[in-house]
Amino acid sequence: MKVAEKDIVVHGMLEDEYGRCREVVEALLAKAENYPRGALNVRRKRNKGKEYAYHYLVRRDGKKIINRHVSEKELPELQKLIEEREKCRKEIRAYRKRMAYLGKLLNKPNPGGGRHESAAR
Amino acid sequence: MIGSWIMLIYQELYGVRYVLRTLDVDFAVHIARTQSQLRADLKQLITDLGFTDYLVAEGVQKFTGGGYEVEFIGQRSGGRNKGFLSVPEWNVTAIPLPFINILMDFPAVAELDGFTIRFPIPEAYFLHKLIIARKRPSGAKRGKDLEQCIAIMQVINDEQLRQVAKAHRFGKDTRRRIAASCDAIGFPLHRIGLS
Repeated sequence: MKVAEKDIVVHGMLEDEYGRCREVVEALLAKAENYPRGALNVRRKRNKGKEYAYHYLVRRDGKKIINRHVSEKELPELQKLIEEREKCRKEIRAYRKRMAYLGKLLNKPNPGGGRHESAAR
Repeated sequence: MIGSWIMLIYQELYGVRYVLRTLDVDFAVHIARTQSQLRADLKQLITDLGFTDYLVAEGVQKFTGGGYEVEFIGQRSGGRNKGFLSVPEWNVTAIPLPFINILMDFPAVAELDGFTIRFPIPEAYFLHKLIIARKRPSGAKRGKDLEQCIAIMQVINDEQLRQVAKAHRFGKDTRRRIAASCDAIGFPLHRIGLS
């Protein structure tokens, strides 16, 4: 089988891109840790013909499911933070996908086993 | 705009073709010491476009969206090794690097795909690459810089190139770097006017 000679510039650029992706993922993971955990949930209750909506932040803590009531006042800010967290996670997933592709080209170990993996799920 | 993405603009405008680039897009910013009033909140504008901002170890702020990374770069004055430059008038921070003024002092403006883009003329980019190629510790990056120079070489206007070189005072080391890069790509040094 004829094997192509390694092009130092192309290989270096791929290495650069891999390194850049890794740095961005690390920075985004650090950022994502500062956002609130969990998902927003709404419970609707009817009382005397009226419907009331109560917002909760639901998150898992080991085997326990924790519901924290969210007041109307703090709701917009919390929604914004969760939206930003999801944006962050989406970026992390995109970078990890690219790292997996580049990793194969560069014979790197699988980046999926990072210590902060849960933060990007 | 500075950095390898300029090659895409050169391709559109001059037919220069060089396709290798990473997905980080660099923008140069003038650091005006006297101007501390906010002119435009770039951080807000960029995050409103769907980008996420984040900080890297040195305290430099960057933005990422769709796998692309946006960062700002400013002229590093003197030999000071500062972590980042604060740019209050644009509400961003920039990475300080030497020789960025070469890129900013000779700009051109083009309208591409509905965007107005300010970028350095090929002669300024060429000279900048000749200098920094020799400062690169990585052989691959040096090779990429010089390959870009070879691609641009065909559209270089000697008069413009001399003007760019004349506008900056280069020390002995920098002149040596330029000469070494010219030698590596077979570009006659006298065309720059620095013989």
